[in-house]
Amino acid sequence: MQCSKCGNPKVIIKKEQSGQLLCKDCFIESIEKKAIKTVRKEKLLDKGDKVLVALSGGKDSVTVLEVLNTFREMNIIDICAVTVDEGIANYRQDGVDIAKRHAERLGIEHKVVSLKEEYGITLDEIMQRDNHKGSCTYCGVFRRTIINKAARKMGATKIATGHNLDDEVQAIMMNYLEGNTNNLTKLGAKTESKAEEFTVKIKPLREIPEREIGLYVVAKDLEVHFDSCPYAMQSFRGEVSEVINQLAEKHPTIKYSTLRGYDKVKNILKNELKKDYSHGRCTRCGEPSANELCKACSFLEELGL
Amino acid sequence: MTFTLKYNDIGEKREIPKDNYTIKDLLSELGLSAQTIVSKQNGELVIEGTVIEENDEIQLVQIIYGG
Repeated sequence: MQCSKCGNPKVIIKKEQSGQLLCKDCFIESIEKKAIKTVRKEKLLDKGDKVLVALSGGKDSVTVLEVLNTFREMNIIDICAVTVDEGIANYRQDGVDIAKRHAERLGIEHKVVSLKEEYGITLDEIMQRDNHKGSCTYCGVFRRTIINKAARKMGATKIATGHNLDDEVQAIMMNYLEGNTNNLTKLGAKTESKAEEFTVKIKPLREIPEREIGLYVVAKDLEVHFDSCPYAMQSFRGEVSEVINQLAEKHPTIKYSTLRGYDKVKNILKNELKKDYSHGRCTRCGEPSANELCKACSFLEELGL
Repeated sequence: MTFTLKYNDIGEKREIPKDNYTIKDLLSELGLSAQTIVSKQNGELVIEGTVIEENDEIQLVQIIYGG
């Protein structure tokens, strides 16, 4: 058995979808090339961009930082990072510390913003309320709002997230299964909003399977926070992920074909289904909002904050 | 014939139960999915089809958690 590219007998992966065998060096190169290919194909970066990386310290965000840093080293873009501390005991602090060390290692501007400082409550405290809507609902909305505000404060022109192939396929299937056609139109490598306060979001890793990102950080000896969010198993995403992974065991190309299929119909969906929101302002925080209150503020009102 | 297994907080000697006993066999014995684990043999990354030899140190790194 040997690497399909260079003949090295020390193979670290057999790609299920193609049967290709790769050694460590060729595998690392293949991941970086694939992400760069997505950046070029989808035109995710423009020269002079300042890209804010949403850096949790987990494998995906550390990989996206690593890949984008190659563009920074070529003086094409500048990078900054923000880490959101949701306030999850015995979980988040390790990721925050790792994120700080990566920012220091690369010499990039980095901010840590906590839910407690921003909204006066932690996710753990929200989950102790009787009438909560589920951890991921709050976490997603508050995190998105914090990252958007940080992008504006730090002068970022793009926000890069570590969404991988598995994340994208889960999102496609979840939105379809829930009949959420509005959210289905918002997926993709690059998402832009009519409201200029919302910075453009990019996903350079969306064509790379989650397992390969895990193998990449281990192969490159990158320090990451490998741990499970204590609230993860309560999510619908967890259930959908389990079903997709079961299917992928017998059908190894199924995640790619789901993404390709979605990409083919994406523009039709957007044209047919996208609502043309008249963006007003949230009466509480002033952020762009289609309703009187933005999602984050409506949650805060419900929580009595 | 034994090997050492390192996985999370576990560090234990285990018997090699048969000839051509692979990491894939070990993962199914432990009820772990190869989709969530990467494996090292004596400190070097290897694929799951790798045969475990006497005195090997096999380290399993969980890279994906549920949810």
